[in-house]
Amino acid sequence: MDESREDEFPRRPDRRITVPHTGVDLPLDLDLTRRDILKIAGYGSLAAFIAACGGSNPTTSTSVTATGGKMSLGSYQSDSVPKKALADLVTAFQSANGGTKVTVNTVDHGTFQNQITSYLQGTPEDVFTWFSGHRMRFFASKGLATPIDDVWNAVKSNYTEGFANSVKGDDGHVYAVPTSYYPWAVFYRKDVFAQHNYTVPTNWDDFKALCAKMKTDGLIPIAFADKDGWPAMGTFDILNLRLNGYDFHVGLCTGQQKWTDPKVTSVFKKWAEITPYYSPAFAGLTWQQAADQLLRKQAGMYLLGLFVSQEFLASGSAADLGQLDFFPFPHVGSPYDAEEALDAPIDVYMVTKKSPSLSSDTGQAKAFMEYIAKGSVQTQYFVESPGAIPTANDADQSKYDPLTKKAADIVSKAKKITQFFDRDSRPDFAGPNGMQQFLLKYLANPTSDTMSLQTSMQSFWDSLGPE
Amino acid sequence: MSAIASGTAPSDRAALRPAHLPRRAGKGIRPGRVILHAFLIAMTALWVFPLFWAVYSSLRPISDTVKNGYVSWPAGGLSLDNYRTFWTEADLPYFYANTLVIVVPSVILILLLASMVAFACTQFSWRFNVTVLMIFTAGNLLPPQVIIVPLYHIYLSTPIPSFTELDVGRFAFPFFSDNNLLYDQYIGIMLIHVVFQTGFATFVLSNYMKTISKEITESAIMDGAHVLRIWWNIVLPLCRPALAAMATLLFTFIYNDFFWALILLKTGDKRPITSALNNLQGEFFSNNNLIAAGALLAAVPPILIYIFLQKQFIAGLTLGSTKG
Repeated sequence: MDESREDEFPRRPDRRITVPHTGVDLPLDLDLTRRDILKIAGYGSLAAFIAACGGSNPTTSTSVTATGGKMSLGSYQSDSVPKKALADLVTAFQSANGGTKVTVNTVDHGTFQNQITSYLQGTPEDVFTWFSGHRMRFFASKGLATPIDDVWNAVKSNYTEGFANSVKGDDGHVYAVPTSYYPWAVFYRKDVFAQHNYTVPTNWDDFKALCAKMKTDGLIPIAFADKDGWPAMGTFDILNLRLNGYDFHVGLCTGQQKWTDPKVTSVFKKWAEITPYYSPAFAGLTWQQAADQLLRKQAGMYLLGLFVSQEFLASGSAADLGQLDFFPFPHVGSPYDAEEALDAPIDVYMVTKKSPSLSSDTGQAKAFMEYIAKGSVQTQYFVESPGAIPTANDADQSKYDPLTKKAADIVSKAKKITQFFDRDSRPDFAGPNGMQQFLLKYLANPTSDTMSLQTSMQSFWDSLGPE
Repeated sequence: MSAIASGTAPSDRAALRPAHLPRRAGKGIRPGRVILHAFLIAMTALWVFPLFWAVYSSLRPISDTVKNGYVSWPAGGLSLDNYRTFWTEADLPYFYANTLVIVVPSVILILLLASMVAFACTQFSWRFNVTVLMIFTAGNLLPPQVIIVPLYHIYLSTPIPSFTELDVGRFAFPFFSDNNLLYDQYIGIMLIHVVFQTGFATFVLSNYMKTISKEITESAIMDGAHVLRIWWNIVLPLCRPALAAMATLLFTFIYNDFFWALILLKTGDKRPITSALNNLQGEFFSNNNLIAAGALLAAVPPILIYIFLQKQFIAGLTLGSTKG
């Protein structure tokens, strides 16, 4: 409908403007009509939107590492202990790599995650701290990370197959170097178990019998807290992995399987058998409060990540920390028990794409990536900032405390490893408006029919646009 | 109430005073007053409780509250250790400086610009003065979130010259830009605050300036004062209460802002004080006692500003109404 108008008022052909990213040509002269202005505004915001969605083609990268020079590192290690450990690591790297000057930009963990999209599209540092799983592959496929196959070829002999798979993007290239991980398991106090003569349950019936016994002994059988939404996803993950297996779980996280599948119903059914043993008013508790219940011997067991030990550490009592132990989630009698699957989120380092200094710093950045893949470097970091476990094969296990040693052991026995729901699925589905809310809804009334809930989960998934 | 009653009822007519009027103090306590004061005390306690709770928690070590819970007597004793840790660990003075570098120039610039617009629109009659005022006011209605994507790209592609840097110890303040962009710069954050707060400031200041009689401006013109001089020497001094009230409000708004810094800054060391609080939180574990201490310390500057400008603040709220 615009053509007829332009025929009546032909414009000089030289005064035209091309809207970037859209290839749309617009007349540029001063007697703009209202329609023109709307058009420019419309295409302008469209262009901005398209640009905001990122996307550029990966280019071939140089394969050599370089010494000296400079590089920059964006880090989310903002609390004092890991921050200091990273600073020491960087200093050691500087002297090991011919005096490479490393600038570290530390942003607190929550903010770093919140602004990651704008960070990576803006002027990021050369190297950044991030997570494995879907969250890594997502930014890799958007062209916001540089493939580092050459670095990986140099260091891959130091990693197990599981870690190798965890750093591959959708295009088969390697995008990250894993540096640490921690498992999810059922934590308990050894002294409480000894006092009541409890034994570690290995199957579902024993687990439920133990819960019932704890209840009669006046304990909260299973500490549970879901105020922040994410902890409940850990229980969903492990039940789904045990009942339906790794492949179904991953398919569900990525949309290849349907939430209305009867297999999902079976997870909710199984889950309802243990929800009566949960902490009272768990929807208002943070994980730290639930960990306190375990610490104060009010609760018997707690399914959580290894970071539960941080709460024990904060109590300042070495005796309490020494009593903390864990066992893998019990078998449920399905064929997938043999997978021994568990959530073990992996933290990684990646190389950005849009760093303004990357063209001159690529060699140094890759040298840094190779450096942090060394067992000795990871061990030193672990000694200074205990918590997550080093990933390299040649990390010095004699430096581990018994709990860490055991954690490394159960992960090495696992045949399938997942990253935790919010790292395996798309962020908008795993967030507070999606999975977190659905699980809270389920937990409010676990014994009711879950099909309507599953239907709304599936329709929420279907309502999400392409990523 | 009793003061009014005693003022209007002379003592010789006390016997004739209707029974429902309150009696003077010292002649017994009426149940109504007891209920009133019980209510007031309860409301005060309710309002003070969260603050008290934060202060109490901030004085206790984390090991104490982990072992005994927050509702318990302090087994580990009370100390200022959390405040000390926060001050040193979170580099507090440094982040205070960051915030001041953003807030102070922004507030000054906003007040200058907004008072100019308000002055032009209220003291002079011209064809579009009401329209201009409406446009500035309408700017308030635009939620900043809707323009964040284009704004982010504008910031990324706006070249800004870098001059020199002001180095005070660790704190390096670049004049204009240190990466030749508007993105990730103090000046970028200042600009966006100026843009978004000028509308509101114009709205308030113009309402205030409407109460200044036009005769003052007119007599100044008669005396040969030019427009800028009337603005600076006549109108601005008269607006001092409104300007002080706006300065207090704007300081608090910008001080509390986290949104722009989140999107438009990427360097952790340039972030405002509110983000220093986040630096205390680990990926999973948070020392809530330490955070309570930090939150209380971070709240100090706006409270100080309010205390110092309190007189002006209240004057600003009431002066306009009595004149009208």
